[in-house]
Amino acid sequence: MRLNEIPSYIVDLAKRLGATDVAVKLTEAQRIMIRFSNNEVTVSKSFLENSVDVFVMIENHRAATAISTLSTRNIRKTVENLIKTAKSTPPADVYAPLPQGPFTYNPELMKAPKIPLDPDNLAFYVESSVKSALEKGAKRAAGTLNAYRSKITLATSGEVYASQEKAGIEISVRAFVSDLATGHAVSVASKLEDFHPEEAGRMAGEIAKAASNPKPGEPGKYMALLGPMVFADIVNQVGSLSSAFLVDAGQSFLVDKIGSEVASKKFTLIDDPTLVGSPGARAFDDEGVPTKRNVIIENGVLKTYLHNSITAKKFGVETTGNAGIIVPYPWNLTVESGSKSPEDLLAEIDDGIYVTNDWYLRYQNYRTGDFSTIPRDGMFRVKNGEIVESIRELRISDNMLRILRNIVDLSRLRAWVRWWEVEIPTLAPYALISELNFTKSAM
Amino acid sequence: MEDVAEFIVDKAREMGAEYAEARLQIDLRESIVMKNGVLEASAFEESRGLSVRVLVDGALGFASINSFRRNDADKALKHALRTAKSTSRLIRQKISMGKGELGRGKVNVKPRVSFGSVDLESRVDLLKDADEQSIQAALASGVKAPSRMITLDTWITEKMVLTSDGANVHSITPRAALFAFITVFHPQKGPTQRYFNLGETGGWEVVERWNLPKTFYDETYALSRILIEAVEPPRGEMDVVLGPEVVGIVSHESCGHPSEADRILGREAAQAGETFLKPDSIGLRVGSSYVNVVDDPTLKGSFGFYLYDDEGVKARRRVLIKEGVVNEFLHNRETASVFGVESNGSSRSVAYNREPIVRMANTFFLPGDYTEEEIFEDVKNGLYIKNFMEWNIDDRRFNQRYVGLEAYKIEGGEPKNLVKNPVLEITTIGLWSSVDAASKKLEFQAAYCGKGDPMQGIPVWTGGPHIRLRKVRIGGA
Repeated sequence: MRLNEIPSYIVDLAKRLGATDVAVKLTEAQRIMIRFSNNEVTVSKSFLENSVDVFVMIENHRAATAISTLSTRNIRKTVENLIKTAKSTPPADVYAPLPQGPFTYNPELMKAPKIPLDPDNLAFYVESSVKSALEKGAKRAAGTLNAYRSKITLATSGEVYASQEKAGIEISVRAFVSDLATGHAVSVASKLEDFHPEEAGRMAGEIAKAASNPKPGEPGKYMALLGPMVFADIVNQVGSLSSAFLVDAGQSFLVDKIGSEVASKKFTLIDDPTLVGSPGARAFDDEGVPTKRNVIIENGVLKTYLHNSITAKKFGVETTGNAGIIVPYPWNLTVESGSKSPEDLLAEIDDGIYVTNDWYLRYQNYRTGDFSTIPRDGMFRVKNGEIVESIRELRISDNMLRILRNIVDLSRLRAWVRWWEVEIPTLAPYALISELNFTKSAM
Repeated sequence: MEDVAEFIVDKAREMGAEYAEARLQIDLRESIVMKNGVLEASAFEESRGLSVRVLVDGALGFASINSFRRNDADKALKHALRTAKSTSRLIRQKISMGKGELGRGKVNVKPRVSFGSVDLESRVDLLKDADEQSIQAALASGVKAPSRMITLDTWITEKMVLTSDGANVHSITPRAALFAFITVFHPQKGPTQRYFNLGETGGWEVVERWNLPKTFYDETYALSRILIEAVEPPRGEMDVVLGPEVVGIVSHESCGHPSEADRILGREAAQAGETFLKPDSIGLRVGSSYVNVVDDPTLKGSFGFYLYDDEGVKARRRVLIKEGVVNEFLHNRETASVFGVESNGSSRSVAYNREPIVRMANTFFLPGDYTEEEIFEDVKNGLYIKNFMEWNIDDRRFNQRYVGLEAYKIEGGEPKNLVKNPVLEITTIGLWSSVDAASKKLEFQAAYCGKGDPMQGIPVWTGGPHIRLRKVRIGGA
């Protein structure tokens, strides 16, 4: 059996065996990753994957599997087991049939530009990025280059059969002037012409250089400018926790907040997989529903959670095209830009802090949104609108909803962010936040 | 499996690899997800594939493919060789594989009760019972438990590791793991939350031993009491007793991670970060003489159990901090070569398509001489932090924060009133230097440790006894 015949074969087989609903996703993927540190390559990796995810329902009895051995015999045996498993699975509280197609998809979203996976070229990008960081004064650079091509073919019992190509190339580079003076930048692109490894290296190097000789920061509440990497991390939290599944599980500070002001009027957050040529563009979700532009928060007001058809039925709304068979999730987060430049925002700070990056965000309470995260890489004291010194050792210890409500302004300039800490591609501006709480270790 | 592994390694050598390693791995997993008492779905999965690592001109190449067929193995091998060759010009310090006690043989962990003998209905019934106990415990405390999430995973990992210099290890390891996330709520007090992991190596007998209905009752009852009774915590300098759950995370974050030799060399610099320790930090005092932290993959039944690592090196206990002094780093063969030591068997990979890298297994603070009562008895006014929710640590593993969940004031040598979310925000050396006692009783918790790119969440245990810190600041600087 040819690979592209597998999804329809499984749909037919599962229906014959008693499934009321079937969704089958075939993923064919090839990825090359080059990791580097101390200006040298540490390892190059190639990932070659053809795998199939299968979801069946016998009305409200649900079961799922993933198949990595794609022989006809193994597929048949696995689907038979899956039907048996579904039959013995207790009923869920709602039954929402898989959405009925056929659907029409935007053909521009289904094609991806060619990203060459030639390791010689990829190694050249790494080399040029490291060189740029060093030219800006860094002593060493580390990071990851990631290039991929994939194709998803989806078939469902709702008369869906469609293929989606994806491709991308990304670099994450961290520059070191010393152990304590570092800068980090990324370039995230789905087309080669949007990929700028030298610029990422240069930015990382510039931040690291500016961060030289950091002084211990003082804890307190400050007006803070968050760079796109930090703000993307915060926005990823908001986007992820707008999943109706997590709301239902109590793992979200957005529970019971539809229609409420959860953020400053300046803040509009959209999950927009319909942006052709963007890193998280996607034509259809895992149920075959055409994706759409969902405004999650509009001028500070929470408008919707993200749904698949099951959570939508439970919440009494329509699916938003964000399946995830069990857990809906955002595809491609974008924050509406403001009107000022990052420099203008910095100039508005009389006495504050500029944070360029963070990591290790952990909650004390998902329902209330109490959390902390650690600034890393360049962090700067700002007085009278100007950076006056590099600082270190502070932690952002605050509350998600308070931070969203304390957004003073956003920059016009936005950057795509995805890296080790930020999973969902996010188009984030600089954000000016009032009264941001910074704490510090004792001893 | 073995013939394909031999094929890869032999062919890699023929094609010019200085070193070659084949790993074939099958993970058979069954999972159920229950949300608010309703089964969301049941799932099973066979993840089956191979990876190959080669050294060519001092460059390391890795490739994986989800197949055991020879022509696919050949394809993966060619990718690994090609990318390694393409990047070798960007390497000044040639990579090599250091020495280690290479293993040959089989490690088969036999379950007492096989997963296959426990049907889906029994698993679901067990979780439903646990979930109901959660609801009852909240009601008994005068609150509600409106949100509960439970996932139960059982899986068997079969793995074959073969290297061109003689390692040949076949292992079968069953594991069980449970994740729980509970919210309790009171209209005037709001929500409080707790999550916990249970995880061990073994068959269904470990799930039976967890006594889930009682565990969920006790956990939810304790959480409800925190919601109802906890008052503002004291602030300022005081003596603090940390419970085993906190000691476990501290040992993992503030000793295990800093001791990873690949971090010391900067290999994780852009992802999981680096460490305040340097290559010459062996012998550096980082804590009081009461501090002894080890990492030991050989603990039978542990979540991080293995006897041979994913480079085929025999595992052993690693004494990371001995009487307050840095004693040993965690090494794979690559870092061992740089440091001129033998690998201590710390190379792990979470799946066939992930590179083996330096990892912890079961990291814990060694027990001391005190009884639990003795730990508390000469604390006049202090704090006992039994467990935690929020925590984080900077990328040099020096500046950390643990926010207590179940925590008590200590008065007159005894834990008294519950306090709400005390904050211990402290440096690594500050924390370890203030330890002046450890109790005799050791306890462990399961966790998934995140590291690598692509991310690898690997099963570990963290643990320790109760320990006492003298004169640390609660509430941060």
